[in-house]
Amino acid sequence: MRTTNLDQEVKELIADIIEVDPASLDPDANLVEDLGMDSMMALEILASLEKRFKIKLPEDELPKITTVNRAIEVAKKYVK
Amino acid sequence: MSNRLGAVPSTLDFEQIKRIIPQRFPFLMVDRVVEIEPGVRVVGLKNLTGNEWFYQGHFPKKAITPGAMICEAIAQTGIVFFSLSQPDSGDVTYLLGSLKMRFLEPVWPGDQMRIEVTPIKVMSKAGILNAVVTVDNRTVAKGEFALAAKDNEAL
Repeated sequence: MRTTNLDQEVKELIADIIEVDPASLDPDANLVEDLGMDSMMALEILASLEKRFKIKLPEDELPKITTVNRAIEVAKKYVK
Repeated sequence: MSNRLGAVPSTLDFEQIKRIIPQRFPFLMVDRVVEIEPGVRVVGLKNLTGNEWFYQGHFPKKAITPGAMICEAIAQTGIVFFSLSQPDSGDVTYLLGSLKMRFLEPVWPGDQMRIEVTPIKVMSKAGILNAVVTVDNRTVAKGEFALAAKDNEAL
């Protein structure tokens, strides 16, 4: 998969919130089980995606954000 | 929209506030709610007198309102916002998840804090909210905080 600006921005945004180095963040690692993301961090990621990409994400997208790649998929669905 | 007060009122007095938030003396930090737009904003007031318990120790020679108590007032106004914006969320306790706050000026005995809370992202059981605290139209503190409603059975 070709890495786009959006991919990189989502990765950096998530890395910042869960406090890991973006370079070492495996985009398929489970954010909860492998990286210790809690529910408030997940909400923060959702709110940051909305702000960064000027989109509105419904609540039912929240459980889908399990990895960086899944977050990228969610973001791409809403970014025009 | 239903909540613990029935129809959403336009203001709340001290007794109505106590029906929404669980904190009590010496930790109840909202005296009155003067503006309510469910899901849009809530404005609370806290009058600080020289008799507040925390001035005994903060500080003995010069009473200054602790930033932690300003944060508590913000969080409690956030609970009011959340409770009035959501359908009855049941038997829950609201916990602070995160807080990013800047304190711009000291708050003194005799000041009235006006605490305005607006949403950044609100969901059924959690929310990120924005807060601006003013005294006499001067901003004394501002920032973001996150609240989560936890079912009491799960705590």
